[in-house]
Amino acid sequence: MTRSAHISRGALIAVALLAVPSIASAQYPTKAPPPGAVKPAAIPPFQEAALANGLRLMLVESRRQPVLSLALMIPAGDSYDPTGKEGLATIAAGVITKGAGARSADQVSSAIEGVGGSMSAGSGNDFLTVRANVLSENAPLAFALVADAVSTPTFATKEVELARTQTLSGLQLQQSSPSALASRYFASQLFGTHPYGKYPTPTTVRGITVDDLRAFQRTRLVPRGALLVVAGNIDLATARKLAEQSFGAWSGTPPVDAKRAQPVPRSKTEILLVHRPGSVQSNIIVGNLTLGPTDDAYFPLSVASKVLGGGSEGRLFKTLREQKSWTYGAYSQLTREKDIGWVALTAEVRNAVTDSALKELLKIERSLSTTPVPKEEFDGAISSLVGSMPLQLETAQGIAEQAGRFAMLGLPKDYLRTRRVKLANVTTQQLQSAAKSLLRVDESLIVVVGDGAQVYDKLASIAPTRIVSVDGDAMQPSDLVTRTTSLPVDMTKLAERADSFTVMLQGTPAGFQKVSLSKTATGFTYRTAMSLGAMMSQTQEATFGSDLKPQAVKGSGSVQGMTLATDLTYANGRVKGSTSVPGQGGVKTVNVDTTVANGVLDANMVGALVPGLPWTSNAKFTASAFDASAGMVRQLQFSVVGTETVTVPAGAFPVYRVDATGGQAPSTMYITTAAPHRVVKLAPAGAPIEFVLVK
Amino acid sequence: MRHPALILATAIALALGPAPSLGAQGSGKLQLDTFSLANGLKVVLAPDHSTQVVAVNVWYNVGSRNEQLGRTGFAHLFEHMMFQGSANVPKGTHMALIEQAGGSLNGSTQDDRTNYFEVLPSNRYNMGLWLEADRMRSLTVSSTNFENQRETVKEERRMRFDNQPYIGSLLKGATAPFNPTTCFAYGHELIGSMTDLNAAKTEDVKAFFDIYYAPNNATLTLVGDFDPSEAKRLVQQYFGDIPRAKEPPPVKCDAQFNAGLRTETVNDAKATLPAILHVYMVPEYKTPDHAALELLSSILGSGQSSRMNRAIAREAKAALTTQVGVDITGAHRGPSTFYAFAIANQGVKTDSLDKLVSAEIAKVATDGVTDEELSKAKNRRRASQIFGLQQALNTAEAIQSASMFLGNPAAVNSDIERYMRVTKDDIKRVAQQYLRPENSTVILIKPPEGPRP
Repeated sequence: MTRSAHISRGALIAVALLAVPSIASAQYPTKAPPPGAVKPAAIPPFQEAALANGLRLMLVESRRQPVLSLALMIPAGDSYDPTGKEGLATIAAGVITKGAGARSADQVSSAIEGVGGSMSAGSGNDFLTVRANVLSENAPLAFALVADAVSTPTFATKEVELARTQTLSGLQLQQSSPSALASRYFASQLFGTHPYGKYPTPTTVRGITVDDLRAFQRTRLVPRGALLVVAGNIDLATARKLAEQSFGAWSGTPPVDAKRAQPVPRSKTEILLVHRPGSVQSNIIVGNLTLGPTDDAYFPLSVASKVLGGGSEGRLFKTLREQKSWTYGAYSQLTREKDIGWVALTAEVRNAVTDSALKELLKIERSLSTTPVPKEEFDGAISSLVGSMPLQLETAQGIAEQAGRFAMLGLPKDYLRTRRVKLANVTTQQLQSAAKSLLRVDESLIVVVGDGAQVYDKLASIAPTRIVSVDGDAMQPSDLVTRTTSLPVDMTKLAERADSFTVMLQGTPAGFQKVSLSKTATGFTYRTAMSLGAMMSQTQEATFGSDLKPQAVKGSGSVQGMTLATDLTYANGRVKGSTSVPGQGGVKTVNVDTTVANGVLDANMVGALVPGLPWTSNAKFTASAFDASAGMVRQLQFSVVGTETVTVPAGAFPVYRVDATGGQAPSTMYITTAAPHRVVKLAPAGAPIEFVLVK
Repeated sequence: MRHPALILATAIALALGPAPSLGAQGSGKLQLDTFSLANGLKVVLAPDHSTQVVAVNVWYNVGSRNEQLGRTGFAHLFEHMMFQGSANVPKGTHMALIEQAGGSLNGSTQDDRTNYFEVLPSNRYNMGLWLEADRMRSLTVSSTNFENQRETVKEERRMRFDNQPYIGSLLKGATAPFNPTTCFAYGHELIGSMTDLNAAKTEDVKAFFDIYYAPNNATLTLVGDFDPSEAKRLVQQYFGDIPRAKEPPPVKCDAQFNAGLRTETVNDAKATLPAILHVYMVPEYKTPDHAALELLSSILGSGQSSRMNRAIAREAKAALTTQVGVDITGAHRGPSTFYAFAIANQGVKTDSLDKLVSAEIAKVATDGVTDEELSKAKNRRRASQIFGLQQALNTAEAIQSASMFLGNPAAVNSDIERYMRVTKDDIKRVAQQYLRPENSTVILIKPPEGPRP
């Protein structure tokens, strides 16, 4: 690998510049030309002002293009959510841009669309941020829309319910995604009772009321402590005038919160194993708490993290993936928040090499504090970090976002301009000593999400290991044996049929699902097709034998432009093939090759078996089913909890109301009491979505 | 909820590389320095020292329009080959060098052009120039690389086209107005046929490189924080001695407007709901009428409050999503396309959806549009151009686009006027003139039938 970066060495840069030939007929070089000198970022000095109501205004004036970007940051992020109301800031952020002041949701989007601008809001650990981007001629509109969003949001029921649904679907997706589960358990274990460890659950999200949102807005979305960053084509006097006009009537001071105790660092390395039965891979996160946000040791630490696992040139990637082929990816990530930061090394590995990969990862992490990083590798890391910074500051939006965040974290005013040079001046010695003090290999938190039955013993030999279920319940090693339960299916009751459902979203048809069962030479094929227009479309085809053994599953589809595909074959006690798995940053294909115990079904065929089950008013069934998209064996439970009559487009039917749990999300099924038993309605819990039988 | 129209647009962009940014222009005019080297390489320099970024951007004047019968899919296949190493850049090194510099890179293929770019911190732009020069002068076209990339391209085709609902139909729609015997250039699909890809030989690819990947068939644009005199010296040093090639054969396209209404039915194995696609032949990118048609497509199909979304999706509840646009697979130097696409709601017959779509288009031809609609469309067009000009890469693409499609890089500074001049009467007139049944192809997209779900 050619590494020609000498960015941090002044003397070498001078030599390099002299080496550039100065005549037109100079020879063509057979090596990449060396870099020029690094300059501080060309960001104009920040201008500041304070409004009478306590709102701070920060202006980054740039006349390059007639554009303007606003970022209003308020210390009202997720960590301020009251206990039991986790998810409040997330939902509030989702709703405040959907109707405020005199404008309905449609009027807000029409106003901003009409001038070709954009507006959004979101929440993180520390801050809730509202952003708007417009041509500078539309500055008054941008100020007004942002001010309305935080000071007079409407919180219309329809919009609140939509935001709730989106949050619940997000949680559901996380629950089925091993990488999201790993991040969640990592945060809760790393922070303990510190608010960064908080996490919304379906229960807390369902419990959030419009009154909660109004109280949140009144107490937390207040000007004192908030920062409005304005970047682009505007001067301070104008920005100030517009801010006073729009935000002048906004008032309030946030409640004085009890001082947060810093989370306690570990004294020894511990493993938390999150047991996902039948998981086809292990998701590993290793990390520890690091620094407050203004500590300059961040610079050498970020170089250490880059060398360790900053992308495809990092040591973790090169060793675990390219050399050993153990992982789909392995990275290191530093996070910097108001109270404290942390480092997290992540890897997704095959079950069989979980322990080897973890040991290797720890060895690589330790090497940074024991051995100096070779010069070429060190220079490459710094050059990449320093080089990527200007690319984030090309737009007014990029500048507003970064300037605002750094200011709220308490970093010096010239930080955005000087950080390139500070980073370029880091030495290998500084890197090594930062690694020694801040990469706490012997005091690490390790979270592994995987099949405990396959990985527990190996992990326990590396460090003390606790086990929890995916839902967080403590487990013992003896609980890890995979239980398989067989369904009492009467195969003679399975007949060819086709059912068609409409998908209702908040009472409006949004798509459909069709299911059909047909006979094959050796058993059955069960097909499902679901469509929510271009937003989502998916077809699955599961074949299984008359002995109930799954034979193959083929599926394809797309969700929000991402392609999904599944191709699995069951034979000789194994399932092999590939499937798409949602992960960080999109969908990726994961190879499946794992044993399945006798009696384990495939999750995609379970729906076909409904007519063959002996339904009664107190029936309870359990099925073990391999769910390839989640990469695990699920214990699906069906319990009749009542009888009633439901009316759907296909007619009125006496039904059993059945609670179905253990799947991707709990749901209620309505199954006809009369044979052949069929599902006439299905409603995932907590979401305003229903599948109703049409014919 | 995400705006549905964006999804297909994104999917198409994904399929072909980054979304094109055509004809951008801001209020601050760009200062351009345009010249050619002796070997015919056209160079456009646009220095801008306000950020420490430089975009190195090369457009080759080759796309699927240059492909011959039996040799389709070459333009895109070749784009992949360009990342497989050259004389002084071993395979895999290009990306590693850019990553180590903290930069980004990519390439993409459209009907009329293939682009390659690096975005770098300004102290490394020299390396971006050198990497582009090295592959222009000495690309490694080995059979191993070729076989390897052919498989990658076939896999990409399966994943992004064959396995996605509606995308294949839209790409087919892009060729629908063109008769392949009189206009093969635009009458065959951008992605090419599997048969042609299978039949391709390494020698064919070498020949393609020799004809099209020559300095006299390329334009190099540099935008951002560089010293123009140093840049000129480096361009001469790196590119100056790459030999010129013979001029590529001209592209012919005899297309006929109002050739009569055609209807087609496409069986889309991945679709779950029927859909309808109207495609109309429209004049080329640089014409005033194209600008009017583009604004009209925005009025009909962009945003929550667009006509199609309001009337067909929200009020009639006949469609789950609607989308309207121009230039499905990139701008043309020649006749192009205007399209309206809608996915039917469950239980809605394509006939009635077709009637609704036709009615919305006919309404423009009879009643025109409102002042508010037109000004909103102009605002959006202008704003997206100006937002784009904040970034060196978008600016470079806009300059390249002006150079290729308007015939002059400096037109980047004036092209917005073409849109601002459009009147309500223009919109009504272009709707009457081009969006007529006898100038259209209507494609009914049918999901699989039968006992299948």
